[in-house]
Amino acid sequence: MNNIQREAERSDILTEVGKLIIPFIQVFAVYVIFNGHLSPGGGFAGGTILGASMILHRLIFGWDNLISRLTYERVMKWMCASLLIYGALKGYSFLTGGMHWEVWDIPLGTPGKLLSGGFILPLNIAVGIIVSITVYVFFKLFYEGTI
Amino acid sequence: MTTFSMIVIIFLIGASIAVSVIRNLLGAIIVFMVYSLTMAVLWQQLNAPDLAITEAAVGAGITTLLFVFTLRRVGGGGK
Repeated sequence: MNNIQREAERSDILTEVGKLIIPFIQVFAVYVIFNGHLSPGGGFAGGTILGASMILHRLIFGWDNLISRLTYERVMKWMCASLLIYGALKGYSFLTGGMHWEVWDIPLGTPGKLLSGGFILPLNIAVGIIVSITVYVFFKLFYEGTI
Repeated sequence: MTTFSMIVIIFLIGASIAVSVIRNLLGAIIVFMVYSLTMAVLWQQLNAPDLAITEAAVGAGITTLLFVFTLRRVGGGGK
């Protein structure tokens, strides 16, 4: 840990450019996730961009408030919740669609708008959370050796 | 197949040969990153922007970062 702390030397150029560019990367990642059913992109691509922004934040600013909140327990809680939501929604969709059950379905909305496409939007959000956390955990495993 | 795509494909072949030939490991990683970035441009040319976004984020971003950290951990840089 001490080694890591020493490596994160504060560079003025890196800090200022990071402050400027990281919010834009995160907004773009959220855009890619939320527009996955309308435009190119989706959960995986947006989650990877979000994970890359978290890695960049970790590399530039070291341990500060945002990253130190991403503890192992909290990250795993988010990831397990997303996996459970994904499994429940997709299982419901498969079951009702495959058996031709005429039960409640999510409102379809108007085509072309953000709230459309049925289950795709919540599934994309769940996949985005899972992929971003996976990428961040991979980075921590390779960089520090522990999660 | 346009001329641009042919040039990009020839560049990709050259880069993929160079990755396996270059002795400097850090240089090989950087050539591999350039390969991924050029591949993203080629996906865009082939009307697959979805794949282009993923290739640019995963191939040029995450994979290169993991390779560089692995190289630093095993102490193989600079040779």
